[in-house]
Amino acid sequence: MSAHSTHAYTGEAPKVWPAKVNQIPKEIFGDAALFEEELKKIFYGDTWHVVGHTAEVPNIGDFKTFDLGRVPLLIARGKDNQVRVFFNSCTHRGNQLETSVSGNRKEFECPYHRWLFSLDGTLAACPGSKEFAPDFKQENFGLVEVKTDQYLGLILVTMGKNTPPLKEWLGESALPTLTALLGGDGRLKLLGYQKVRYASNWKGYNDNDGYHAPLLHTGFRLLNWQGGKGFQRMTENGHVIFEAELKPATGNGFLKDPSLIAFKGSNPERGSVITQLFPMTVMTKHMDVINLRFAIARSHEVTEVHYAYFAHEDDSEELVQHRIRQSSNLLGPCGMVSMEDAAIFQRIHIGNQTPGFAEFQKGVTSLTEIPTDVKQNDETGNLPRWEHYRKVMGFKREGEQ
Amino acid sequence: MSQAVTAAHTSAIDALHTAYVAALDQGDMAAWAATFASNEASYFCISAENDRRGLPLALMYDDCRGRIDDRVSFVTKVWAGTYQPYRTRHFIQRLSCESAGNNQYRATSGFMIMMTPEGGATTILTSGEYRDLIDIQGEGDKVRAVFRERRAVYDADVLPRYIVFPF
Ligand code: FES
Ligand SMILES: [Fe+2]
Repeated sequence: MSAHSTHAYTGEAPKVWPAKVNQIPKEIFGDAALFEEELKKIFYGDTWHVVGHTAEVPNIGDFKTFDLGRVPLLIARGKDNQVRVFFNSCTHRGNQLETSVSGNRKEFECPYHRWLFSLDGTLAACPGSKEFAPDFKQENFGLVEVKTDQYLGLILVTMGKNTPPLKEWLGESALPTLTALLGGDGRLKLLGYQKVRYASNWKGYNDNDGYHAPLLHTGFRLLNWQGGKGFQRMTENGHVIFEAELKPATGNGFLKDPSLIAFKGSNPERGSVITQLFPMTVMTKHMDVINLRFAIARSHEVTEVHYAYFAHEDDSEELVQHRIRQSSNLLGPCGMVSMEDAAIFQRIHIGNQTPGFAEFQKGVTSLTEIPTDVKQNDETGNLPRWEHYRKVMGFKREGEQ
Repeated sequence: MSQAVTAAHTSAIDALHTAYVAALDQGDMAAWAATFASNEASYFCISAENDRRGLPLALMYDDCRGRIDDRVSFVTKVWAGTYQPYRTRHFIQRLSCESAGNNQYRATSGFMIMMTPEGGATTILTSGEYRDLIDIQGEGDKVRAVFRERRAVYDADVLPRYIVFPF
């Protein structure tokens, strides 16, 4: 429980949301009880959640573990080359099945009573089953699969009963950008991770990642790095898409090694793209960096982000090398033009423990209508996502019956 | 060990480790850069997970002298005023040192970095292992050691905060 919490939210009487659409109540960022409610309604609700990409488990037997809220997941590639997502829990007494972050196995063995699961989740062996309960049937005790679907290798899961089909949930308008981001066909090759925890509420993290504040980054000015023409587009269920043409920076003589910020890819018209999926996934392709940020809401004050970086399978050796050095140095928790964003996630969380509202200004044209049309650098692109959050959580607007 | 390390070289290498720690713990980025060879040098800071899995991506990937100098510029000029300040204390433990021929040594050491944010308590940032290629320069009284390459492999699977300074 945060020492800063102003109200204890019981989850019963909905919080009242201000009538002005450009105000977000700061009390929602520091509330442990509200986080429990968000787990139920959002993370375990009728929403898809990005948990990985199939390129992270390229070979048969490869697996990775991940968490959806507090629910441990096991993502594994079977002998049939299919990638499945299971609850990472033995179907006997519920022991955590796999403890490693990643690896390769022939099968998964629970050490407790030695139940053995195949890569496709089937229970292959369970010693001593003659003495098991009369209704025990081995075929009923395979690992439990989480409902999953993929888009160009991007793995999404949902625990909700009424989650719309994935493509519908993503929305037609989001697909071209997401496709470009995933290299056109999703045939990616994992380069590695940067993993970090931020002392920030997941909504504060998400409200400030993806969205770009050019004034924050002195680097842009020093490197004479101007954003190209582009657009920002939102979907009704809280996704935000950005696309901008790439104007390569020369470095302005500031860098001794300007090759780091060279662009060697092939589509400068989509040189900078971001897809931000509700509730908290940011994915970007900026210059030659392909970066999927797998995020975990750990608590109301801790957000964990696994920055995963990729090359494309068809890349030349030279392009891969360039991607490795650019990806390592540019956009992560220590990145040349992103470390400042990371600092904001934590500072905004501290600032949000005060009464009042987070105020959105740039691009606001109406105090009563949720914007649907925003300019490239407007702050207002986040407002439809907030509106979606408000509705999913069931918070009424002031004056609303 | 292929070749005995002379006492002069040992003390030069020890002095290099000390200079590195002193530079970072004082937040002196120029002094940090000065521990690397001035012509050709590299610094990598990479997670043990990536390292173990053969994944090349790093947290800091300075594969030439220019990149090391550019890191100094970013920390001191570009990022100034944007991050929550924190102080560090590095502790290192020499693990191995072998001659790599021609006035070069391959050395490994364990490290631990404590961090103290302004206004906060001291916690562990991470531990890890330095894997170094060290050049001995000069002769007699002027013997000096510099890093040709330093690879800081950090243990934390998940770092406890965003990072400003090299490890
Ligand atoms: S809990 Fe896994 S075998 Fe018993
Ligand atoms: Fe930014």
